[in-house]
Amino acid sequence: MTVVDDELTLVFSALADPTRRAILERLAHGDATVRQLAEPFAMTQQAVSKHLKVLEQARLISRTRTAQSRPCALDAEHLDAAVGWIARHRQIWADRHDRLDAHLAALRGDGETTP
Amino acid sequence: MTETGELTYRRVHRASRELLFDCMTTPEHLTRFWGPTGTTTPLDGITVDLRPGGAFETTMVNDADGSTYTMRAVYVEVRRPDRLVWIEAGVEGGMRTTVTFVDLPDGHTEVVTHQTNVPAAYLSAEARSGFGTSLDRFEKYVTELP
Repeated sequence: MTVVDDELTLVFSALADPTRRAILERLAHGDATVRQLAEPFAMTQQAVSKHLKVLEQARLISRTRTAQSRPCALDAEHLDAAVGWIARHRQIWADRHDRLDAHLAALRGDGETTP
Repeated sequence: MTETGELTYRRVHRASRELLFDCMTTPEHLTRFWGPTGTTTPLDGITVDLRPGGAFETTMVNDADGSTYTMRAVYVEVRRPDRLVWIEAGVEGGMRTTVTFVDLPDGHTEVVTHQTNVPAAYLSAEARSGFGTSLDRFEKYVTELP
């Protein structure tokens, strides 16, 4: 559980930055090199590389080791993990309120279980 | 971006704001409904120090194997019966939960739960298009929730 939480912390802090989110959106349309990623932003390739490093540490992207240009690719698996986290939290609140409903009905003494 | 970074859950209950606020902040009530499905939250594992800076901790016991998980939070805002805010420092760099109690007609109350520090990219419509299957699945999941 701790390992998963730590990974999620990396993922969420990586996603806290709007530039990094924009980079991920760009990569969702296809792999790209640092030069290609730097173009739409008013940023140096060096600045983009820093963002890529954060995304790589969070394993939201992977980079080819072989090609000279080292194109970046989106890592959908880790995105899935974080999305799953949100879904679980929603489910926790939904279940909690179901039980709260039942508890309130019990307090009213009508034994009614509201769906 | 201020709105999209939030996970929001809304539910209407047939009870007053005061009662709902008390349910959320009294161990004797919390033990009845707090823990996730498949767990129990024993009374002696609940700490409520109801003031800004006070502790809000719940230990949840897994029904199947007896393992425990403790949520450790600190209250930030305590305003009966309008609003309750706490922060879990150890979760995702600081998870902030805000619960708002909205008065509705006929003795009903809407409880609105916001959890922030949830990444905006997952929830913003603009970002969603490119992310493909995982967000599609998430969307489907959310719309199918009761």
